[in-house]
Order: sequence, then structure tokens, then C-alpha cells
Amino acid sequence: MSATHLTESAAVPVARPNSLLALVRRRPELITLALLVAICVAVSIINPAFLQPSSLVDIGRASVVMGLFALGVFIILAAGGIDVSFTAIAAFTMYSMTLLVKNHWPDAPIALVLVAATAGGALLGVVNGLLVHYLKVPSLIVTIGTQYLFRGILLAFIGTVWIMSLPPTMGAFGRLPLFQFESADGRTITLPFYFLVLPAAALVTWWMLNRTLMGRAIFAIGGNANVAERLGYSLRTIHIFMFAYAGALAGLAGIIHTAANRQSNPFDLVGTEINVIAAVVLGGARITGGTGTVIGTLLGVLLVVVVNSVLVMVGIPSTWQRVVVGGFILLAAAFFVFCQKKN
Amino acid sequence: MSHVSALPRPDAASKVDAFLELRGIHKRFGGVHALRGVGFTIEPGEAYHLLGENGCGKSTVIKIMSGAHAPDEGEIVLEGKVYHSLTAIQSLSAGIETVYQDLSLLPNLTVAENVALNEQLVASGGRLARLFDRTRLRETAAAALATVGLPSDRGFLGTIVSDLPLAQRQLVAIARAIATKAKMVIMDEPTTSLTRREVDNLINVVERLRSEGVAVLFVTHKLDECYRIGGHAIVFRDGQCVEQGPLANYTKQRLAELMTGRRIDAERYRTGAPMDGELFAANGLSLPPNVRDVSFSVRKGEILGITGLADSGRNELAMAIAGVMPATGGSVRIDGKVEKVRHPSGAIRLGIGYVPEDRLAEGLFLDKSIFENEIALVVRDLANGFGVVDKAKGRALADKLSQDMRLNTRNLDLPVGALSGGNQQRVLIGRWLSILPKLLVLHGPTVGVDVGSKDTIYRVIQQLAEAGMGLVIVSDDLPELLQNCDRILVMNNGRVVAEYDARETDEDQLYKAMLVSKPAVNTETAR
Repeated sequence: MSATHLTESAAVPVARPNSLLALVRRRPELITLALLVAICVAVSIINPAFLQPSSLVDIGRASVVMGLFALGVFIILAAGGIDVSFTAIAAFTMYSMTLLVKNHWPDAPIALVLVAATAGGALLGVVNGLLVHYLKVPSLIVTIGTQYLFRGILLAFIGTVWIMSLPPTMGAFGRLPLFQFESADGRTITLPFYFLVLPAAALVTWWMLNRTLMGRAIFAIGGNANVAERLGYSLRTIHIFMFAYAGALAGLAGIIHTAANRQSNPFDLVGTEINVIAAVVLGGARITGGTGTVIGTLLGVLLVVVVNSVLVMVGIPSTWQRVVVGGFILLAAAFFVFCQKKN
Repeated sequence: MSHVSALPRPDAASKVDAFLELRGIHKRFGGVHALRGVGFTIEPGEAYHLLGENGCGKSTVIKIMSGAHAPDEGEIVLEGKVYHSLTAIQSLSAGIETVYQDLSLLPNLTVAENVALNEQLVASGGRLARLFDRTRLRETAAAALATVGLPSDRGFLGTIVSDLPLAQRQLVAIARAIATKAKMVIMDEPTTSLTRREVDNLINVVERLRSEGVAVLFVTHKLDECYRIGGHAIVFRDGQCVEQGPLANYTKQRLAELMTGRRIDAERYRTGAPMDGELFAANGLSLPPNVRDVSFSVRKGEILGITGLADSGRNELAMAIAGVMPATGGSVRIDGKVEKVRHPSGAIRLGIGYVPEDRLAEGLFLDKSIFENEIALVVRDLANGFGVVDKAKGRALADKLSQDMRLNTRNLDLPVGALSGGNQQRVLIGRWLSILPKLLVLHGPTVGVDVGSKDTIYRVIQQLAEAGMGLVIVSDDLPELLQNCDRILVMNNGRVVAEYDARETDEDQLYKAMLVSKPAVNTETAR
């Protein structure tokens, strides 16, 4: 049923500016935040050990790769598309980059490696963008295809052997601390330097989405691509840019994943897409496109990471993670729909 | 995409003052020859009315001017330069702004972004690697919104467009068109959901635009509005431009004839009279806050009109009768039995049919065939014990319905989306006839429907009443109600405030009743 009839008589559109429901409807990430706080409070009551700095550092460290993926997924979702190839892009770039550096230039400066991985990811993203634009096939189908394609090429032509010892510069980058301290039980807790990449990427993404015409254009085509085209937005430019951007973030995430784990496994990462997409949707971005915020996306990632790490601390088996995350997704989705209906 | 001939041709200077000229434009879509050598000239500061039935090529020519379609033949002379086709950005940069019939708003963005973002996009020549200026966005948007009579405070600027009522969205779409330094504004049926006062305001805006040298091209079915605005008429029929000239040279009757190619009767359609015996009665129907304690009755073979402003509750009343938005209080009596309608299927069971106002969103399956649309309500009756639909029986029924409704095609396998608005509406009404309703509620039966289709629909309505069906027409098209109804109820603030015999009233009286006793603050939906 069209909303127009239902709203036609509601003369004043923002009739209840103070209503909590209206606020939540405009800022769905508040729900994510509330859930996050509720979980943290509950867990700290059951197990006060959760509040120790060490667990916060763990959560921060675990958020980086998923957060970078999520930012990319968020951009594609905002534009009304969906991307499931980013893990394959990450695996492809991280493994081939590691192999390349290890075999040909073991002392390559880490900055160059990061830039090269980002560029490589962007290049694979451009392939996605071109296919989505010219085949006029929904991005879900295209990226399912390219996920197999990228992964297949990686395993068939580049290699299947785990790289257990990284080139020295990459290993050093993975260990480089941002700060270190001793925990109560005498362990050394390190927040790695690479953690900074996530806030930096989030800031750049936020800026791009909210301060440039490209950012607005991405939301515009997420609202209605045909209308946006009619208004003069170049769908081709936007498609290529957004998939390149998501690919770049995936490439960067891949190399950080490798550096953090001190090994490069070509079979890694692929299969975690749904987890990431779930985090973005939990952060308030609608799967139908056109909405969402960077903050919400980060909160969604934190929520999933926290759920994954704290369930163990309160004695729930880790196999229950999925049940909890699944429950949250259903709850959050039902709530968002409820808010919309109320309006 | 565009093929721009580098230099202006000398012959293009023949009419120096023309802003835009189309010459011999042809456009084909597959086998359909939508435009057959169309040409006209747009001069600065003039108003034009592009008139014609649905499917005559109006939308196509608009899309050619706005850069959405490239013509197959012909040329476009824009400010003295000859083009074979335009891109959206070229058209916008040249100052051609369009208010589309579907409004073409981005539902997820704010009012300010919808109104003023395009100005910055056009200024950058369509390049997206640019910062966007939020201060300028707000200022441009606020100025344009104030012009069309919408609020321009920060709260409204930041409202998400999908939260706005339809009338306000239409004004937002108009605000976008005038937010830039437009030289020509095309308005495709800009007043369909506006109240009279908003239309008055729009006409003032048009006057102002014209005084600033902006050309305005209207596409509309509302001839009364054309005469109020004045200017030139451009009449299309079957993809050709059949007549052009000052509007004052033509009567309404003459324009209708030109559009349809046949004579249209502007007389009262209603010649019969209701039969004895109550068919339907509403008893204290309520749906707060929109409908309050509404009671009325309909006799067999009677045509009852219900009108009111957009926020008077007429729309909700129509949906309450049909169970689309079930009434929270009151009951209906049909054939003497007191019932409550809680769901559309309940209404169907009672023999109440409902043709919704928004046929695209609520009524038709656009990608399905005429046949499938026509039998949608009776498909269960057509099925045998195994749930297999008797196609032959369905065909026969669909055939009969489409003949009764005088569809202009015999090919029932065509998707409904390929039909013109008038024919779509006929398919929808035909579908309801398949269940032989006792009472048929028609909600805005001719919104966006061309003159020829209106005529057909009115004739069908009269035939149905002759056959004893009760009809309720909910509409803001006052001539339509006066021509078709026995009685007209006027709603105001959720209540029925007046009842008239349609033969003894006129538009003025009805309009006064629509406004009367209404606190001034509430007379407009937009504020």
C-alpha cells in the first residue's frame, strides 16, 4: 500500500519532534548504541573482568579488519547495491602482495606495500563496478560471480600454500605498538599501531560521503537510481567509484589481516561476508539502500565484535554467537520496520 | 552520447529570440512510432500548454528536451546552437528544468538536498569529485521553498522527503525546478495533488517566472488551469503536433476535439435516476482523526459524489468503506444487513468494490497482462478442484470486461504497464466489475486520465448505475461530480458538512462548502 495515502492527511510532517520513536527512526544507530551499552553493562555485572583495559584493547584490535570491510559494504549498501566479493578481493590482494614482496622485494617499505594493496583492491573493485554498470545485472549477482572468479584465480594461478613467515617489514608492522602496558596479571597488553587505520578510514569515508558531491550522489542513486540519472548524475562514474572504494578498503583490510596474524592464508576471509553485512545492517543501514551512517556502521561492527568476544566471558559457548547475532538482526530489523509503520 | 554539431548554423538565427526550437523530431520505441515529426518553438517569458491525450507523445517530447531520450531524427536548437540530442547535464546547464509527473524526488534525502543539490551538480558540469557547499545548499533551498510557499526553517530543510505528504512533495519538486537560474521550466501535471490555494500560489510563481523571462511549459489535463495561466496551446495527437496558437483562440470544447479528434460532449452524463430502496448505508463511520461520525446512504442505481479538500477526510472515508483502512467506529448496512468492514476481502465478500486513487501503487500489476489483471479478483472462482485456472473461461470473462470498458486494444496479453493511463484505469474498473459488486467506490476515477478516456469512464459509470449498481465517486474534480452524480456530499474536517442535489448546485457553492467553518490555520495541508 502506498505511504502517500496514509500520510496525505497528516498535515504536519514532523508532528512529534520530541517523540522517541521519531528520533530512533531518524537515527536508527541509537538502537545499536543502546544494545551495545546494554550488553556491556550486563556482561560487566556478570563478569567484572570485562571492564579491564585488556579486553577493550582486544575488542579494538578485533574490529579493525571487519570495520574496514564494513565501511566498504556500507558505501555499496548506501548506493542501493550489495557486495559479497570484498573478502575475495582482500584474500587476493593480501596473498599475492605478500608473495610478491617476499619473493622479489623483502625489504619493501610498509607504506608502499599498503598503498599497493589498496590500489590492487581498488583495481579489482573497478572490475566489479564496470560489470555492474555495463551488464546491468544486480550487484549481488555480479559480486557473487566475481567472488568465485577472484578466489578461483587466486587459488588456481597464484598459490595455495600458506605463507607462515612474513617479509620482515610486514611482520614488523603487525607488531608495531601504538601503546603498551602491563595488565594486572603481568601480561603485556598491546594496542597495535595498525588500529589507527580504522578511525582514519572511517573519517575519510565520512568526509567523502558527507562533504563531497560524490558522497551525496551515492546516497542519491541509493534513493532512486533512475531519478538520479534523470537529474544528471553519471551512474557510470558512481558505480566505478564506489566499487573501487570498497575494493580499496578490502585490499587494505587484507594486508592488515595478514600483518596482524603474521601469516598469509589464501583460504582465509572468504565466508565471513555475511557477518560483515550483518554488522552494517545492525548499524542501521537499510538493505534496500539509501540510508545509514558511518557511525552506525562502526557501532554495528562493535556490536558484532563485542558479542563474539564477550559471550565467552560470561560462560556462553562460542557456538551461540550466531544465535545471538541472528536474534539481534531480526530484532533490529523488526524494530526499524515498526518505527516506520508508526510514522 | 550526444552529437553536438560544433558551430551554430546560420539558419538557426532565423528566430533569434527563441530559447528552444524542436524541428521535425521523430522517436521510435521498438515498433511504436511515438513522435512523428514534432516541432515547436519556445520563447523566453512565455507560457505554453502541451495538451493531448495520454500516449500522444507528450512525455516523450519532454524527455527529449530534458535529455533523457535522444531523438531518432530531427534537431534541437537551443539558444541558437543546433544539437541532435541533449544529455541531462547539457539540458540542465542550459537552464531547462523539469518537474516530472512522478516528481522524481530522492525519497531518502532531505528537502534541502532535493531542492538545491542539483544546482551544485549542474554548476560542476556533472563532475562529482567536488566538495559540496552546505551553506549554499541551505540558502538556495530556503529561497526556493519560500517562493513556492513552503516553510524554509532548518527543521523543514532537514526533513526527509519520504516523510512529507504528497502535496508537499509536489511543491518540493517545483521548488527544485526554480532553485536554479532556469530559463525554461517544464511542469508535467504539477497540480494533481495540490489544493486550490496551493494552485493559486503556483500560478503566482509562474507569473513571476515569466516576468523574469523564464519560459514555462505545462503539461496538464486541467484545461481550467490553462486558461487561468494563459499563453499558447500546443496540441498533440498520435505523436504529431496538430495545432499551435494562443490559448485564447480556442474554446475548451475545441481543444478537447483537437486532442481526441472527435467531438466530446461537455453535457451532464447523468440522465437516469436512482431506483427505490436503500442499497448501502454508512452509520457513524469513524476513523479518528480523519473521519468523524459519517453517516449517509446510497440507493440502488444511485451515484453519490463525495468531495472535500485533500485533508478533509474524503480519502480516508473511501478507504474505510472499502476496508483498506478499516473504520474504528460505526458500521455499514448493505442490503439491510449490518456489518463491519475490517479488511478489503471483507468488503469484497459484502459486494463492495473499490477502485483506488493510486492505480499504479495500489491497483494494477503493471508487468502482468491485461488478462491476468482483469481476472485477479475471480481467479479462485475460475479454478477447478485442483486449483487449476480455467483459462478459456477466464479469457471469455476478460474479453467481455475489456469490451464493456472499451479498451483500445484487443490484445489481452499486453502488459498493463504498456497502456496509457486512461486504459489502465479502465482495466482496473473492469476488474471490479468481474465480481459484480453491489456498490462500487471509485476513488479519483479520472486522475491523470485524458479527455477521451474520461468520456468512456463516465459512460461506463452511467451504464452501471442504470443496471442498478450503487456508485460512490470520491473526487476533487468538481465538474466530474456535477456531471455524473445524483447527490454530492461535502466533507470538511472529517465530517459531512453539506449535501447537495447535483442538478441544483455548482462549483462555487461546493467549493465554499469545502472551505466553510474551517479554521484558517487548517485550510492548507502544506503549512
